[in-house]
Amino acid sequence: MNIRILLSILTISMLAIACEDTIDVDLKEADPVLVVDAWINDKSEDQIIRLMMSQPYFDQTLPPEVSGATVTVTDNTGKVYNFTEQETGEYVWSPSGADPSFGTIGNEYTLNVQLQDGDSYQSVTTMNRTAQVDSITFTYEEETAFFPESYIAEVWARDPQGEGDSYWIRTYKNGVLLTKPQEINLAFDAAFTEGSSFDGITFIEPIRQGINPLDQDEDDEFLSPYELGDSVYVEIHSISNEAFYFLTEVAIQTDRPGGFGELFAQPLANVPTNIYATENGVKDVVGFFNVAAVSGKGKKLEE
Amino acid sequence: MSKIILQFLTVVALWCVAHQLVAQQKVTLSGYINDAENGEALIGATVFVRETQSGSASNVYGFYSITLPPGQYTIEYTYVGYQPLVKEITLNENQRLNVEMTGESQQLQEVVISGERVDANVTSTEMSTNKLDIQTIKKIPAFLGEVDVLKSIQLLPGVSTVGEGAAGFNVRGGGVGQNLILLDEAPVYNSSHLFGFFSVFNPDAVKDTKLYKGAIPAQYGGRIASLLDVRTKEGNSKRFEANGGIGTVFSRLALEAPIVKDKSSFILAGRRSYIDILAKPFLQDLDDVGLSFYDLTMKTNYNFDKNNRLYLSGYFGRDVFKFDENQGFNWGSKTASLRWNHVFNARLFSNFTAVYSKYDYQLEFGEDARDRFTWDSDVTNYMFKPEFTYFVNNYNEVSFGGSIIYYTFEPANAVGISDGERIDISLDKKYNLESAVYLSNKHELNDRLSAEYGLRYSMFQYLGPGTAYEYGEAVPGERKPVVGAREYDRWETIQSYSNLEPRVAFKYQLNASSSIKGSYNRMAQYIHLVSNTTASNPLDVWVPSSNNLEPQIGDQFALGYFRNFGEGNDYEASAEVYTRLTKNQVDYIDGADILINEYLEGELLSGEGRAYGLELYLKKNVGNLNGWISYTLGRTELQVEGINDGDWYPTRYDQTHNLKVAAFYDLNERISLSGNFTFVSGTPTTFPTSRYVVQGILIPYNAEGGRNNVRLESYHRLDLSLRLEGKKMKKGKERRNEDYWVFSLYNVYGRKNPFSIYFSQSDDRVSPGEVINTEANRVSIVGSIIPSISYNFRF
Repeated sequence: MNIRILLSILTISMLAIACEDTIDVDLKEADPVLVVDAWINDKSEDQIIRLMMSQPYFDQTLPPEVSGATVTVTDNTGKVYNFTEQETGEYVWSPSGADPSFGTIGNEYTLNVQLQDGDSYQSVTTMNRTAQVDSITFTYEEETAFFPESYIAEVWARDPQGEGDSYWIRTYKNGVLLTKPQEINLAFDAAFTEGSSFDGITFIEPIRQGINPLDQDEDDEFLSPYELGDSVYVEIHSISNEAFYFLTEVAIQTDRPGGFGELFAQPLANVPTNIYATENGVKDVVGFFNVAAVSGKGKKLEE
Repeated sequence: MSKIILQFLTVVALWCVAHQLVAQQKVTLSGYINDAENGEALIGATVFVRETQSGSASNVYGFYSITLPPGQYTIEYTYVGYQPLVKEITLNENQRLNVEMTGESQQLQEVVISGERVDANVTSTEMSTNKLDIQTIKKIPAFLGEVDVLKSIQLLPGVSTVGEGAAGFNVRGGGVGQNLILLDEAPVYNSSHLFGFFSVFNPDAVKDTKLYKGAIPAQYGGRIASLLDVRTKEGNSKRFEANGGIGTVFSRLALEAPIVKDKSSFILAGRRSYIDILAKPFLQDLDDVGLSFYDLTMKTNYNFDKNNRLYLSGYFGRDVFKFDENQGFNWGSKTASLRWNHVFNARLFSNFTAVYSKYDYQLEFGEDARDRFTWDSDVTNYMFKPEFTYFVNNYNEVSFGGSIIYYTFEPANAVGISDGERIDISLDKKYNLESAVYLSNKHELNDRLSAEYGLRYSMFQYLGPGTAYEYGEAVPGERKPVVGAREYDRWETIQSYSNLEPRVAFKYQLNASSSIKGSYNRMAQYIHLVSNTTASNPLDVWVPSSNNLEPQIGDQFALGYFRNFGEGNDYEASAEVYTRLTKNQVDYIDGADILINEYLEGELLSGEGRAYGLELYLKKNVGNLNGWISYTLGRTELQVEGINDGDWYPTRYDQTHNLKVAAFYDLNERISLSGNFTFVSGTPTTFPTSRYVVQGILIPYNAEGGRNNVRLESYHRLDLSLRLEGKKMKKGKERRNEDYWVFSLYNVYGRKNPFSIYFSQSDDRVSPGEVINTEANRVSIVGSIIPSISYNFRF
């Protein structure tokens, strides 16, 4: 059961006595740590692994890249994929005639990162099967007290039989990936969590409808997620269970309810990582490595 | 173990018999003490024998018993706020004497205390307890003008909360789920309406509230931090009475009347919020949207004869949120308790209690039948509790008895329907039996030294049918894997626990106006409240101890100095220090999924707690200006493997300084003013040091990895209220009914006290390669001055 959704609904229905303001806070300083952003998949396009350093929390600049590293991914058959640095800090593997896409479902992959200073890092994951996008539909909804007249998109997909699949449903509106924290849309089998086993059925409604961006205009009025002429493209990425837990915690830590909802927020905690230092075990590292199989489909909203 | 207990019981029994023999030549005076105006039993009224300079006090049912050699005696009955009553009696044989005491004044503003003050603060063995009568609670300025029992006790030393609007309270570093809250002996599992803004206790029905922060008598057990004993009124047994009011949030009405005069009476008290009714005209589109909460408290009693009285009380309350016709969320409690007071003889008083208590919640989502989710969950218990008090002699009062509680936990009765396919994701019910026997004695050793010592032996069984899982090892702080499962049949014991809980308290009288008191008690708690949110919420789950979850154990030591000052003990003061050490406190891994999770136990952690503090309390009982000042200096920390690198860390409710001032001033016959001021040190919280980006999402990072490593600004708030009594006379005649207005201001200087500061990326949509901006936001639950008004009546 996803308490976030429940609480956001409750927050709306609460007495609006809570007040909130943006303030300046002095934070402690800390040494930067290596960030590994390694989410690769089997789409026939360049696969990118980014290496960066963490920054002070209020440093409003692009993160410093880590250049000059050696990045490879090896599978359990011994096959090596080399990721070469193209832009600074961006390590790329490109598909070719021999390898039109990255990886095979069921194989285990090991990420190796060797930095210029000699420190090296590793991570292991498996590429899991994914669910197929069946179709995308739009529904017209009349205006209500909170929302204008809207077109709501819904993605139809079915979790294959067998417990333990997890997915990250990623949505592109007019070609732009939705990356706000509240747009993280995850499924464990066909529902929200591991403990409640919704296996082998159609994704539940809140996940199917989790592909709608909730934007507000300057007057804080909600906008219709999609307008006539907009297009939507939905991908289902298979992720490891560890990646599911990681993203669940990322959502808890980044999608803050604010206001009265903070009564039921969870305290700040570091999200996990599946990257570890091999040479120098005490060095901190953050980030995540996942190899996804991807299915996708798109639709344009027309009259 | 049971052998030791048997021996202990034998010794005590023999000792009782021995006393019985010695006491043969003595006679006993016993009876009930009631209020003359409405027949309510007076709890803790003092009975004092002038000739022997000895005394006793009435119990929670108003019963007293005092044993003396035959002779002529002058008996004084005293009770705070009542005219002392003196009876000359000739005692030749056991005698029953029921007395009725008259209140000092019908009008509260004319409090004139005469005669001897009750100095129980100094003379009784009791320590670490605070009693708030409903008259005082009603005077405290309240949030939105709604008188609230639980918010009032937060003005007492040693009591704190995680913040405004949060449910429950924290006592001497205990968690919200470590308080035993009893409403007429029935345990209340969730004491809040509207998530925590209001409590479930209707002030029109409550008679007396007593908080035990330590030195908890052996007859109570099951929670390790505190006991809040809420007793409701019996109902006026003399005449019909109605109380009610119209406030900002609730409308209230309470009716009480005799059924058979002086034999039987009832009270029926109801409250309902009416935000939804007021909002209706403005929300025509949202006809089915609703937010309401209500409760009904009732009680009736019957005095069969002088030795048998029966009380039946019940509570029913619910909070209802509806998002539309088909979707919503509601929760609430039901309790019922049936009590039978039986006086075996003048010296053996007994009470048998049967209790039913249930807390449940229900959720429904999905606008149509093809896509729906329904979930309900409950904790239900049945309890039977025989209790006996044996008034051995003037120096010994022995209590003994036991309790047996049968629990059923239904974590989830849940069904999901997705695109027409139905999946039942219900979890198995859990069955438990908690039982206890206890024996204790209030012993006056000499003029100066008295003690209350006892022993409680508690047992807990986790019973079948059910599946018990076995979990493997994991890195501390991570999910433990399931390595085995075993099925159990009905009534088969899956796991059992038992604990000996010694309770000791003593008082040493230094002189007439001061004493030193000390106590030690051990408490065991077999059911646990698991919450992973800052404030407890209605979905928080109660889980029983099991093969994976051991009972929580708490040990508390307290030492105090009590002193009364002034003529007639106008001022009472106390200073107490306490240390509380706890084991097997329940915590959870980061990202734990506590709702509908078959493998929840694999995500729970257990740790140790330590809390210590100093509590100062000064109270002025009389005069136009009265009230109290309470100050607590405290520290509350936890150590859990897997959190904060296994080091001690302060809890969210760790408050270094906690100062509360409550003052009441009677300006004239019609106007009285009240104020309270709160100052609390900043709440511990966790701030990030750094940021990093993964897949376009900005993640906060705390390089030290510590929990609660910084503190928010300190909290302070002033509330004021003015009570205006209605005119006593109308057209030259005395009015039959009384009424009054209460005007109150909450957070008078509108301080934006931070409940929390949270960190997030700004809400702007960011394209890949663009800088993501970060911000810190301060949330104040009540960030402005809140005025309110209420009208109250009584006839």
